[in-house]
Formats: sequence, structure tokens, C-alpha cells
Amino acid sequence: MGYAEFKAPKGLIKVEVELAGDQILRISISGDFFMYPEDALERFELALIGSRVDRKSLMERVENFFGSSGARTPMVEPEHWIEAILRAAGDKIT
Amino acid sequence: MRIDDAPMSMAIDEALLKLNSEGKSPNTVRFWRWLPSTVSIGCFQSAELEVDFDVAKKYGVEMVRRITGGGAVFHDHGGELTYSVVCGQDRMPDDIIESYELICGGLIGGFRQLGLQAEFKPINDVQVGGKKISGSAQTRRWGSVLQHGTVLVGPDVRLMFELLKVSPEKISDKFISSVYERVTTVALELGRKPGFDEVRGAMRDGFAGALGAELVEGELTQEELKLAGMLKPKYASDEWLKKR
Repeated sequence: MGYAEFKAPKGLIKVEVELAGDQILRISISGDFFMYPEDALERFELALIGSRVDRKSLMERVENFFGSSGARTPMVEPEHWIEAILRAAGDKIT
Repeated sequence: MRIDDAPMSMAIDEALLKLNSEGKSPNTVRFWRWLPSTVSIGCFQSAELEVDFDVAKKYGVEMVRRITGGGAVFHDHGGELTYSVVCGQDRMPDDIIESYELICGGLIGGFRQLGLQAEFKPINDVQVGGKKISGSAQTRRWGSVLQHGTVLVGPDVRLMFELLKVSPEKISDKFISSVYERVTTVALELGRKPGFDEVRGAMRDGFAGALGAELVEGELTQEELKLAGMLKPKYASDEWLKKR
């Protein structure tokens, strides 16, 4: 399991990730951010499973999720989630 | 003013939100204190990552998970006043930050009445002199909005930072001075610690102004208390606390 924290403009994002090769097998996101509706977080985690851990693949998944779900995370942008995930994945690799 | 334990405090807020959404409970502003002192964590936080369980046990501090996001908050029985606002979503802007700003306007009005120049800091903070004096968290469910938050009257700031997963090594004089750079309290700003009733009165007037509402004093209804009683076990459960 790789673990990392990333401080977005409003919200500390904490990610725990387990990889299978370069793909996300399991991911757990926690932190002091705000997400509306709150139950979107679990769906967000599910949506990330299977994604490769490169910036482009993650951006596609993240943007797709927010676009289709309508979930809102004030002052936390897609690139913040991606940075947190990449750091956690990097922790695993090293 | 009610003084409630952690599970009841959260259960009352959820009960008011649910009943308000069903048209069975009016739009409400309430104020209360916590006993025992408690750390509440945001619904997206991991309990173990945020709170030093050993320190909490040592000082008899309880823990509870909120249904709102945001960070870990220390509700010091001796120094913190908590507020919550429950109203229909039609009363609130759709934009999330705008709605926080509107409700926090009540706090700003209250601080002004106490003699303090307070400002809104997006998303969810109120500051005096650039330092945080209040934090809030909001959820929107079933067509209603619940926003609750803190008023730092005169809490034990040192204990706060000891509880919130900062290693004891960090509680050095240097760290404490940096803590005081980020956080302030009504007591620190006024040079005296006002009574809770005084703060409540100021905040009550602040909210009346900001919400454009006439506030009528009342107690929780039987229905509200009954639903809160049914919700309380959830908040008291280990399963809920350690959910994430």
C-alpha cells in the first residue's frame, strides 16, 4: 500500500492506494475537503479502480467522474486529486 | 442552552435536518455546548489519521464523526460554543461557497456585536486579524441544508493541538507560537473571556440579521428529541466512528 498526502487550496487529501502493476487495484481517499453530495466519494473511489497511474489516464477518469456525476468539491480541482494519487502510487513504487 | 454529549449533539442536528426536509420542523438556528469535550471529525476523515486516541483517552475527550465534511474540530466544554443552522435549500444560494458565506455572515455579525472585526475566508472559515476564530461545515440533504460550526470563545488551544494528531515533540514553544499565528479566540481578541450567554446573544442577533429572519426562542420539540434519540446510537457506534 502506498500512502501520500497533498494539500489542495482548501483541503488536505490523503490517499492510500494498492496497485496491480501500474493499475489501481484499491484506493481509499480521506481528508478534510468538502464533497457534495457526500456519498459521491465512494463512487469516486470505485470509478478510479482499474485506472493506470499516469497523469493522462487519471485525468480522464477524474474528469469523467465529475462530469457525469455532477459531484462538487469546492476549491479542489481534478489536478489536486491526481497529484495526491500519483504521490501515493509513487510511494508504493519506491 | 443545551449541553450535550457528542452522539446527542450530532443526532439532534441530523434530526433537525431530516424533519426540516419533511416540513415537520421549522428553519432553526441553535447553539449548544459539549460535555464531555469532544473532537468531531469530518465525514471524509480517517479517525486514526486525525486524532491521537491516547491523548483523547488521557484527557477524557470523546470523539464523533459528523455527517459534514471538513476537518477535525476540538469542542472544548470550557471554551467553545457551537452553532447550527437548518433551513430549506430554497433559502440558500445554489453555489456552495456563496451559501457558506451567507450563513457565516451570521457569525460575522455576532463577532461585530462583540466588538471584533471579522471576515469570511472561503470556503468555511471566519477570521479576525487573519487568524481563524470559527470554522463551519455544511451538508445538503433531502432538500434542506445543515451548517454547523464553532465559535472559539476561549478554548485550550494547546490541548487542541495535542489532540489533533500532532506529535508531542511538535508541541514546542516554536510550534505553539506558530499555532497562535493561525488561530485566535474571542478571549484573546477581547482580553477577557465573555460568558457563553453573551456570545450566544451576539450570535443570535448576527444570524437574525444575516438570514433576514425573525428568530423565535424555543426548545427542541418532542418529535425532534425522539428522532435524535433514535439516531444517537449510530453516532455512538465504533462502526460509524471508524467508517473510513
